[in-house]
Amino acid sequence: MLNIEDLHVEVDGKEILHGLDLRVPPGEVHAMMGPNGSGKSTLAYTLAGREGYAVTRGRVLFQGQDLTAMKPEERAQEGVFLAFQYPVEIPGVSNANFLKSAVNAVRRHRGQPELDAIEFLKLARQRLKLLNMDEASLSRPVNVGFSGGEKKRNEIFQMWMLDPRLAILDETDSGLDIDALKIVAEGVNALRGPGRATLLITHYQRLLDYVVPDKVHVLAAGRIIKSGDKELALELEAKGYADLVKAAAT
Amino acid sequence: MSVDITSIDPYIRQFAVARSLLPGAGFAWLDAKRDAAIKRFGSNGFPTAKVEAWKFTNLNPLTQTTFHNVVVPSQPALTKAALAPYRLTPDCHLVVFVNGQFRPDLSALDHVPDGTRVVGLGDADEDDLHALIAPPSVAADSRARSLLDLNTAFMNDGAVVHLGRGAVLDPVQLLFVAIPDSAPLAFQPRNLIRAEAGSSATVLETYVSLGVGAYWTNVVTQIAIAPNAILRHYKLQAEGGSAFHVAATSVRLERQAAYRMFAVSLGAELGRNEFDIDLAATDATARLAGVTLACDAQHLDTTIRIDHSKPRGTSSQEFRSVVAGHAHAVFQGRIRVAPDAQKTDARQSSRNLLLSAAAAADTKPELEILADDVKCSHGATVGDLDRDALFYLQARGVDEADARSILIDAFLNELIEGIGGQAARAYFRRACDSWLAKGSRP
Repeated sequence: MLNIEDLHVEVDGKEILHGLDLRVPPGEVHAMMGPNGSGKSTLAYTLAGREGYAVTRGRVLFQGQDLTAMKPEERAQEGVFLAFQYPVEIPGVSNANFLKSAVNAVRRHRGQPELDAIEFLKLARQRLKLLNMDEASLSRPVNVGFSGGEKKRNEIFQMWMLDPRLAILDETDSGLDIDALKIVAEGVNALRGPGRATLLITHYQRLLDYVVPDKVHVLAAGRIIKSGDKELALELEAKGYADLVKAAAT
Repeated sequence: MSVDITSIDPYIRQFAVARSLLPGAGFAWLDAKRDAAIKRFGSNGFPTAKVEAWKFTNLNPLTQTTFHNVVVPSQPALTKAALAPYRLTPDCHLVVFVNGQFRPDLSALDHVPDGTRVVGLGDADEDDLHALIAPPSVAADSRARSLLDLNTAFMNDGAVVHLGRGAVLDPVQLLFVAIPDSAPLAFQPRNLIRAEAGSSATVLETYVSLGVGAYWTNVVTQIAIAPNAILRHYKLQAEGGSAFHVAATSVRLERQAAYRMFAVSLGAELGRNEFDIDLAATDATARLAGVTLACDAQHLDTTIRIDHSKPRGTSSQEFRSVVAGHAHAVFQGRIRVAPDAQKTDARQSSRNLLLSAAAAADTKPELEILADDVKCSHGATVGDLDRDALFYLQARGVDEADARSILIDAFLNELIEGIGGQAARAYFRRACDSWLAKGSRP
């Protein structure tokens, strides 16, 4: 599904990722953990195609295609979804209009018929209910006045509506209370399955109690320094990153 | 002072010919006003950048052409159906002017309610003429008002809207249609809106062109709002691409009177929309908002002067522009609070969105506050679309071009949503949408 080889990424002329290798096969959930400043968000933004994240070496293949050659919207249309660590507020644009434009852009790309306003609302209502979200949020401007938890749930809602192949969640668990965390986890689990993959970027092990990963990777100073199964996350929780980072440096 | 004679002389000669044919000719007092006005125009000339109020708007493109003031212009055949797309609603009261001249045959004034009078300048009475000619009560450099003087000299038609005590007129549209001629024409409409105590009206001014070519609309609108009266004033400036549009609107508010204005300016090669607002008595309210949409080489200027003369007045100015191509948007807003205008609440905001590297916006707030117990605020921004918001939309699959129009639309919608009347809101949204549909023209 996702195949990253020797990825080097510069931001503002400074190299942040120094040769990252990662394979996420279809059907799997991988967790990417690591200390602050290790390059986790840089990886997320690079995969989503944000301006200013320059790939200087290596390659990123998504379903066999070169992801780095695509515009951000093409990546999304092909099935890449990034749940933002800090969802953006857009005054004047209603959630419903925003998401209907997005859903139909993706559907057009996939050769599916566009949803009309009624079909869209029907689908949106159903998904909102499952996420325990207020239907009124559809008519509110995108993320404006949303609490931290509401913003994160709104990301999961968008993810469901867009039906991605590869979901990248950038610290979606941070700042959530336990109830919101469970809802987010259910949202992620609901999208598990063959033909889909998930990359969970997180600082803490907490989310992994609810979304059990197939693999756990540790990112430090722009490289993956260790990979393992779900036990690795528990070990990190107990011991912290320091020893691992030190061992990798020597 | 040196004045460019070559640009002025033709107008002085045109005036000498037109003088005895203009409406009200023969009233000695009015003749004297017109004579004095053309004399001031002759000595001040066209405003130049040396006049502070015209610092950002260079009238050279206007002065390079001599426009012809025709007292009785030839009247092209036109049907009501041709005007339908420009109407606020199919059944609103309508006053149509074609090339500056009132056209009763195209107007719809059969059902004007009791207590109100809507007529052309030809049917104005002497009282109306006195009110029409009154100088703005907001003070300004006389050189800044040279084009108002030119209008005073040449004014030969316009709308008189008079609301008696407690009358309701909702809405009336003044539709100014230009049909450009091979020779560039000047139109000098002069409108009067008088709202007596406790009356309420909605007035929409629309300026459009059928056909291509240069012409100049130089319009003056005089508004007087009596105690407890309310005027909702809308304006769509959608003149032809080679046109010039200069408008001076002067509003005087009495006790507890309210003025609400919304303007969309998107036409003309060079446009200036000027408002002088005098909150002349206590507890008056003036809320002005508007949107400027400029592309190609357009230059569109909004200039506002608000005088808080008496206590407890409220005013707001909320203006936004979207500027593409190598167009230029100007916003100037002056707030003056007189020494005894305590408890004044005055706000001003100017936000400008530049869609291309060659687009420009100048915004100048000016506050003169001579009272101590007042609330005044102003803010101005000039910038590109929010890059984070753009990326967020794209990351959800929306094409960059669509994402840009969604964000521009949102920027405008925040103001359009604030328009009180449903019909006017739809009218302006249509105007903005069709501008956006022509491409957001980076």
